[in-house]
Amino acid sequence: MKTILSFKKDSKPQTLIIGCGRLGANLASRLSDAGDNVTIINDNADDFRKLSPSFGGLTFEGDGTNFELLTAAGIRNCNRVVAVTNDDTTNLMVAQIARKKFDVRQVIARINDPERGAVCEEMAIQTICPFDLASQALMAMIKDPAGPDSSKGELPL
Amino acid sequence: MKQKIVIIGGRDNARFLAKSLLTQKYHVTAINKDYTCCTSLAEIDGLEVIHGDGTKPYVLEDACVDQCATAIALTHRDADNLIICELCKRQFHVQKTISLVKDPEKIEFFKAMGVDAAVCAVSTVTGIIEREALKNDIAALLPLGEGRVSVADIPVSADAAISGKSLSVITFPADTVVGCIIRNGKSVIPGGDSVILPGDRLIVITSNANSTNTIQALTGNTAMPKVI
Repeated sequence: MKTILSFKKDSKPQTLIIGCGRLGANLASRLSDAGDNVTIINDNADDFRKLSPSFGGLTFEGDGTNFELLTAAGIRNCNRVVAVTNDDTTNLMVAQIARKKFDVRQVIARINDPERGAVCEEMAIQTICPFDLASQALMAMIKDPAGPDSSKGELPL
Repeated sequence: MKQKIVIIGGRDNARFLAKSLLTQKYHVTAINKDYTCCTSLAEIDGLEVIHGDGTKPYVLEDACVDQCATAIALTHRDADNLIICELCKRQFHVQKTISLVKDPEKIEFFKAMGVDAAVCAVSTVTGIIEREALKNDIAALLPLGEGRVSVADIPVSADAAISGKSLSVITFPADTVVGCIIRNGKSVIPGGDSVILPGDRLIVITSNANSTNTIQALTGNTAMPKVI
């Protein structure tokens, strides 16, 4: 109970997640369970149902590229921003806003088309492409069908 | 060789812009991801039309964007327009990128991200409507160059101090130029011997908005011009 009652706001990592799809909701729930302060923004409040019941962070409904909303969601105090909406260009724009306008230290964007990531080069924005990861994992499994990694069900990256 | 311009996205605005640029002898390519838009664009003579998503680099490559001097992003989504302009600039080395922006707050951000010109349709149109709605008959001021230069349209009344005089004998404020005289619906580019007549309208360019007050007095108008 002690941990719930004592809010050590400043010492906790502050994470802002844009997009509450399966990936966003899962990540938000995990980080929240791990003790991070998590805020999540989504354009449709219905999607917040995907968050785990134990999610202890804040939710904001609206456009994640809107400066006012981002400010209200506390982007200025964030250590990291993760853009995981289902739209590549939105993720890239959010990432650039976080990096260039609000100077967030760690910025990660999910992109489905890795070619688009070229716009973020030299901006200290990390990008992650789920299809690349899945394809690498599949290739590893195909090359080594009885591999130790695949038997554990872990991604051999 | 004809200068090449690519227009990405947009509906009616893309069509009108393409037509206008074609009449000015540019080589114009339109990229649109909506098939019906493409068919209506294809009806324009001389316009090259590509059906595809302009936020994808290979579509831009197909459209030979690397040979274009100017790229204009007209999609209805700010994020798409930003990425299109960035791809054009960084990957295809297009000299000039112009983007439509929905959210007026993002104009500065787009420019900071390297977009050469960001045009906000909403704030531009509301600005014009506001000017029309609030304009008094005396003068309308149009601020240009980040508000440093104003263009005012000032009518000359019958009892104006300057009516009947030639421009060379009238003392205008130092930072002011009479760019044009509108007389009977026709525009005259004035010289020093041009005579101001009652009923003329002077198009005055000034780098000091307060100068218009002096001009107001010279032209026989007492009301203050409205700065919008």
